[in-house]
Amino acid sequence: MTAVAPRFDAVIHPAPRLQICGLLAAVETMEFAAVRDAVGVSDSVLSKHVKQLEEAGYVGVRKATIASRQRTSLALTKAGRSAFDAHVAELRRIVG
Amino acid sequence: MDRDDAAAQLAALQADRAALADRVLQPWWYDVTLGLLLFGFLASYAFDSHWVTAAAMIVFFGGLGALVAAYKRITGVWVSTGPRAMVVWGALVLLVLVPALVLSEGFDQHWAMVVAGAVLGVAVGVLSRRWGRAWVAELQRGEL
Repeated sequence: MTAVAPRFDAVIHPAPRLQICGLLAAVETMEFAAVRDAVGVSDSVLSKHVKQLEEAGYVGVRKATIASRQRTSLALTKAGRSAFDAHVAELRRIVG
Repeated sequence: MDRDDAAAQLAALQADRAALADRVLQPWWYDVTLGLLLFGFLASYAFDSHWVTAAAMIVFFGGLGALVAAYKRITGVWVSTGPRAMVVWGALVLLVLVPALVLSEGFDQHWAMVVAGAVLGVAVGVLSRRWGRAWVAELQRGEL
């Protein structure tokens, strides 16, 4: 694994957004409902955080209608993965 | 942010990974169906009929799509097979399929494709389960 330069990221830092990025970093895509259940927040709170991550270019949102039900899936973008890795490296640096 | 906050955040991220591990392993029938779909598709060459092979191909790709959709619905996540696993799988496919195709198409020994289908069908089922378990173990370790 190549070393990542530690960098604090103010967008990722708040606990729910760090959690969202941590989950998405482990997968390719994750359903909105699965992220909501894992983070333990309401739909509206998750939407707010996802919107902020999306505006930062860290998360991509994809909506699809399957069997007349709309499903929303989330994925970290390349920039989001880099920012998350750098933020985790910063946390590790602080812990020492 | 102080040292304790950072340590708590790292621990929370690792706990999330471990919790994610509990939901991502595919059900047993996923691997069995995957193996059967591949067997059916490859074995269809034994009929030496383009119509049968075309129908088997439609069933194969339709079945794959349904399996992926079912996995996403059940687990809420999707992850592609890693490049290392794909190299192993590709090598195995070549090793089994090339001699079977030579026997089938070159020497009219069409039964060879049934054998190849059985070998690769079992292999994909076993490897799918193995890769699924390996991913679960990786998540349980909570490595970031």
